[in-house]
Amino acid sequence: MILDLILPRRSKYYVAAFALLGTLFSLAPLVVQWVNYTNPIYAFEDSFVVDKFSIIFKGLFILITYLTFLLSINFIESDKYYQGEYYYLLLSSLLGALIVSSSRDLLTIFIGIELASTPMFLLSGWKKGDRKSNEGAIKFFLLGVLSASLILYGFSLLYGLTGKIVFSEISTFIINGALQSSPVLLLSAILVISGIGFKISIVPFHSWAPDTYEGAPLPVTAYLSVSSKATGFVALIILLTKVFSSAGESWGVILAIIAGLTMTLGNLVALQQSNPVRLLAYSSIAQAGFILAPLSVAGITGNFQDGIFASVTYLIIYAFMNLGAFLTVQLFSNHAGSTNFYEWGGIAKKSPITGVLTTIFFFSLAGIPPLGGWFAKFVVFRSMLSTGEPIGLTLGIVGAVNAVIALVYYARISKVIWMDELKDVDSETSFKFESPLKVVGVFTVLITFISGIFPGIFSYLGEVSSIFFGN
Amino acid sequence: MEILTNGVGLSAVVFFPLVSALVITLIPKGQEFLIKVFALVSSIITFVFSVLLLLEFDFSSADKLQLGNKISWIRSINANYEIGIDGISLPLLVLSTFITVLAIIYSIEHLPEPKSPKGFLALILVLETGMNGTFVALDLILFFVFFEIVLLPMYFMIGIWGDRTVRTVAGFKNQIETRLYASIKFFVFTLFGSAFMLLGFLGLYYRGNKTFSIPELIELGSAGAFTGTFATLVFAVLFLGFAVKVPMWPLHTWLPDAHTAAPTVGSVLLAAILLKLGSYGFVRIAIPILPEQAKAWAPAIAILSAIGIIYGSLACLAQTDLKRLIAFSSVGHMGFVMLGIASLTPIGINAAMIGMVAHGVITGLLFFLSGSMAHTYHTRDMGRLGGNMKLLPKTGALLGFTAMASLGLPGLAGFWGEFMALLGAYNPLDGLNVTVFRTSMVAGAVGTVLTAGYLLWMLQRVNLGEPSEEWMDKELHDADAYELAAWIPLVILTILIGVFPKLIFGATNDAVIAMLSKAFGG
Repeated sequence: MILDLILPRRSKYYVAAFALLGTLFSLAPLVVQWVNYTNPIYAFEDSFVVDKFSIIFKGLFILITYLTFLLSINFIESDKYYQGEYYYLLLSSLLGALIVSSSRDLLTIFIGIELASTPMFLLSGWKKGDRKSNEGAIKFFLLGVLSASLILYGFSLLYGLTGKIVFSEISTFIINGALQSSPVLLLSAILVISGIGFKISIVPFHSWAPDTYEGAPLPVTAYLSVSSKATGFVALIILLTKVFSSAGESWGVILAIIAGLTMTLGNLVALQQSNPVRLLAYSSIAQAGFILAPLSVAGITGNFQDGIFASVTYLIIYAFMNLGAFLTVQLFSNHAGSTNFYEWGGIAKKSPITGVLTTIFFFSLAGIPPLGGWFAKFVVFRSMLSTGEPIGLTLGIVGAVNAVIALVYYARISKVIWMDELKDVDSETSFKFESPLKVVGVFTVLITFISGIFPGIFSYLGEVSSIFFGN
Repeated sequence: MEILTNGVGLSAVVFFPLVSALVITLIPKGQEFLIKVFALVSSIITFVFSVLLLLEFDFSSADKLQLGNKISWIRSINANYEIGIDGISLPLLVLSTFITVLAIIYSIEHLPEPKSPKGFLALILVLETGMNGTFVALDLILFFVFFEIVLLPMYFMIGIWGDRTVRTVAGFKNQIETRLYASIKFFVFTLFGSAFMLLGFLGLYYRGNKTFSIPELIELGSAGAFTGTFATLVFAVLFLGFAVKVPMWPLHTWLPDAHTAAPTVGSVLLAAILLKLGSYGFVRIAIPILPEQAKAWAPAIAILSAIGIIYGSLACLAQTDLKRLIAFSSVGHMGFVMLGIASLTPIGINAAMIGMVAHGVITGLLFFLSGSMAHTYHTRDMGRLGGNMKLLPKTGALLGFTAMASLGLPGLAGFWGEFMALLGAYNPLDGLNVTVFRTSMVAGAVGTVLTAGYLLWMLQRVNLGEPSEEWMDKELHDADAYELAAWIPLVILTILIGVFPKLIFGATNDAVIAMLSKAFGG
């Protein structure tokens, strides 16, 4: 059971191959656990649990890290030094994410969150000579520390209120003591949401994301926008459902407003971007709004299973299509030598396959069937409208309008690469598509299609993980 | 044959084009001939499948959904792969597979710039999957997915192979190529409609025992399960989704741009099939599931249709661009279709059904002709054209014939849709405001006169008269074999439907009557 935690850490040898193998092997215990699963297993006095929710997310985190390694190989080799540290830091972050998905007490989850995000401070400043990289890393670091302190402050209020650290005890204490509407509890919930809000970059805690994404090496950015975000969401889901669920009506409204703002602001700013990485940064802010919305509705209606189902399904599908989108951005910006995608006119003709991939991932992010993104958006809309609550309906309308706005900028990239004229500046350079990247491409595109055409498989994962609320 | 009746045949009509498109992407770019032959053969096979289904279809019970199947698709939300056809969808399905064959025949020799048959033909086939799928889907989610699948291929078709004329567009600082502006406008408009439509589907799902099955929802709807503000809202969003696609005035503004910018084949498919997805949505989903709301909205729909008819005709009179004129004529013709639907009577909806098929055939042909002429003359400006009959006798003759069909000459296909829609509007369903409908009918009748006016004027400007100086010493090619092969079947169909409207009514009538009597009783 704990093997999957230990193994990635053991593999901190200074070779990429070992990191790759290590992450891949660490999937094995998960499969065994899944097959032999009967009931949740608790360890360390109920503060650590293995249930289907955690197994699914561990699987997701390990897969994402594996794909990030593949994305990194060529990039890091061109850098010559610090290879070992790079992999070591990513693996540490993975370990943090794994801890979060199983944690059931305040200390464990805090350690998990910080272990997952601290290595990213270093990794985002990896391009040492680059001023943008330094700027992004510093911003990320300062806000990251602020966020940690907010989370910690929220936790301390919670501890002061209840005197417990294990989630199940806290929540029993709140219900028995009729503390649901206690202002301290609400304040603590707000602090925790704000703190984690930085990690998942929701409005108004998003300001670091575009700069950091732009400055960081692309594989790191991909990891940040997928795995770090998912870690934050897992922590948020666990805390909201296991600790604050009884006060759902008060934080639900706040979260709903945040979700609406996040989608709208992220999309509107994304419209203005000419740098594909910044575009993806803002788009991933908007996407975070979509992931958040079902949780907020769940808080208001108390129907947590539905909310978790939608958020988890969205997160899983989003993770792969977004990784794919970063892959294609990496390929094209390497080839074009430009980070302004308006200069990529007609570039798809140089590598039609990459062009098709770009089209697939970006339209999937926009939610166009039959690509996976449509189903993710669909389950979110479904949970928003589940009870006919006015807030859910409003969010539904905001979401629908946003889906249309988002299409404009997602389609723009496809327009540029396919429809604009090819600028024959360096037609001599051949297009490079290294084989590790091919693996990432094939893998992510398969998932994007399968999740769109046979969404049953992914909704099954979402459904199974939503059961965890009951346990 | 069992394979035809158990849903496999129907699925083949939907997915065979998609599979073929995937195969085409695997054929190396250089093998252009192979690609073209393969696309043609696969579209013909799909058409043959649909004809086999037509033969297997039991016309004596055309009101029942047939040849379908239902298997579990997304269990956790209770969405199923549920398909089937009845008298309403059958003609449209066959029309869709048929027009696709013609579109591919035409594309063999007449690919728009930048050539690249591989992408172009693959997109047509993907488009076909979306179109056929929409007509056979009996599950709201399945319907939605197919309804949306058509967007991507059409977007790229307009955007890559579209018109490269640079023009100024209000709201854009710089000049922009028509194709780029039109493609994204098309995409955004239709996505806007369908995003809200999806919310409506979800509303039905939650109020209707958590099912997305259209037949089940129709049962619930006719039993009065959906009422009040809820039903009004749902009908409003469904209306938005379908009306954008039709397109109804005032949501039509994407259509002239998209049609003008699209390559010939794109315009043909857009006019012939894509617009029908919207009106089909009204007949298949909105009216039977929400009959009371349909009744409440019918006068508004009738007024909008009447405005659409008049507006479309007047706009046509103001056009100098041949293709844009035909595009606006679509707004008018679809206005007749919607007027027929709004009357909620058997005669009106039958008119809409035959109107859809006739518009598909006739306007499809008009776009073929105008596209071909634009290719020959390198202009669509009617001021510069003229004397076409002398320059291109075959194309000119066909243009004359088609324009006559389009203005509703009795004996040709266009007549029935217009005439019967007006009849339906004269005597709408009991309880509907007769004054509104009769006013709309009069407006529609005025519209037919205007339609005749602009089409005849168009013929006068383009076909008749003496050719202008600039064409004199140029070598102009009249229609070649590929073009004729694509056009003649449409001419024959126009005459056949005109003379034997029973070809369509035989299928649709029972289904329409059954649908209406279930929705409105009696």
